[in-house]
Amino acid sequence: MTAHGSAPEPPIADTSTAQQREADAGTPVVDTANAWLDDGVNRCARCGSTEIQLRVSTGHLVCLFCRHEWTEAHIEPLVAGEGSLRDLTGTVIASGATDLVADDGMLTMKCSGCGAEVVVNTAEATSSRCHWCRHLLTVNEQVPNGAVPDAVLPFSVTRDQAVEHIKLFAQKRRTFAHRRFVKEFTPGNVVGVYLPYMVVDSNASGDVHGVGEVETRQYTRGTGDNKRTVYDADVHRVERHVDLTVDDLTLESSTERAHMNAFVNTNNVINTILPFDTKNAVQWNASYLVGYTSERRDADVAALVPELEDQLLSIVRSQVQSSVKTYDRGVRWEGERLEVHGTRWVSMYLPVWLYSYYHDEGGTPMVHYIAVNGRTGETMGSVPVSQWRLVTAALVTGTVLESIVIAMLGLW
Amino acid sequence: MNAALLAAYAVEVHAESGTPWVLLLAGPAGAVAVYWTLFRYYRNTDKSHSFERETLIEAMPVTGQDPKIDTVRGTERREVRGNNVSEHRQRVQRLP
Repeated sequence: MTAHGSAPEPPIADTSTAQQREADAGTPVVDTANAWLDDGVNRCARCGSTEIQLRVSTGHLVCLFCRHEWTEAHIEPLVAGEGSLRDLTGTVIASGATDLVADDGMLTMKCSGCGAEVVVNTAEATSSRCHWCRHLLTVNEQVPNGAVPDAVLPFSVTRDQAVEHIKLFAQKRRTFAHRRFVKEFTPGNVVGVYLPYMVVDSNASGDVHGVGEVETRQYTRGTGDNKRTVYDADVHRVERHVDLTVDDLTLESSTERAHMNAFVNTNNVINTILPFDTKNAVQWNASYLVGYTSERRDADVAALVPELEDQLLSIVRSQVQSSVKTYDRGVRWEGERLEVHGTRWVSMYLPVWLYSYYHDEGGTPMVHYIAVNGRTGETMGSVPVSQWRLVTAALVTGTVLESIVIAMLGLW
Repeated sequence: MNAALLAAYAVEVHAESGTPWVLLLAGPAGAVAVYWTLFRYYRNTDKSHSFERETLIEAMPVTGQDPKIDTVRGTERREVRGNNVSEHRQRVQRLP
């Protein structure tokens, strides 16, 4: 753990829980619970205040009372250890990524400041203020409903920077934007959200086979108007094998966000702002979320395996592409095989600035997002279009082109 | 009439008369291109995370074999039928 000033006690891994889960499920579980924190009042190590939140400019937690700053430990060494990814076998799951248990998400915490009982709906927040003594109570123990992940990557892009990114993105798309969007555009309504992802390390092998062609000759046949170009080619059966490791592949672990269909939602724009520098993610501390909203995970590892395998197959195909450049007439891949030797799953909250705009056109509602990566500032979005403006621009262009052609052909 | 039929008709007329009537398709084609380009610029429906390039991947050297199985003579095809060498996300038959 790195710290400014006196740091809190370093986390001591409580392996008993992990070992118990491992024994129960037969799957190795890495316990990532932040042992020095518990549910309820968590105080600044220097002054005892509970007024703690993220300072975006440094990425540290700061005590709002005495300005003491510190940060939690990076999650990577805790889950990865010293071993190489090439040695990864089986399925290793961090304790915050284990299977979810359906519950109502309501958690009752006893305030250690005054003894009052405070109820937190973990589906919506991981902190709450005691209504009697004003202490801030935080949820840090890994409740099995997806509200508490293994790690969090703190925001480093400030709200003002995000607003500028969003403003610039929308300004570039003003001319053909829907007039109501232009009129109602309020970039100040941007919200900082921690979205749930599963970050996966993999050790895998892939095989692909297909047919490739190499051009051996190009010549013309026929005469006059019947002249045409024809080709001779050698046909090869192409087989490729590659062993690879993939570090920190990032998958949406919210079922709603993972559903990407550009005809009915704009989730793909949030997907586009990936990747994040997940190596800098730190152990969970709910204080990082103070002032931000979050969405909890609702997908288990098993539900995400098909998407992982699909992406690994795509990576295999991408990796072998450079080895078939000699096939200048292309390759038709016909079969592919994936063997996953090992995977390691870590549940993580990643920071996104979101501007959302509800738009209903012709009875088809859609929420348009402009999303800013809370670490890199990469921005992507969807702006509702003014159909009549687009059609007019297309018709004008088509008419001009057609007029030129007609003039060239001498039809006038 | 869809664009393909129109194009085929124009090419046929061009072959018969020698006048490049196919150029008449420039107007409709330009209009569609402008509409689609602007629509995609605003809505970004085609965008997604390029995990193939933007993830930390360490691959061992690719191995394989390339036996010649046939020869094609005088084909008008410009590329192998069903070329999907760049379509990484298009799944093909999954082998056990």
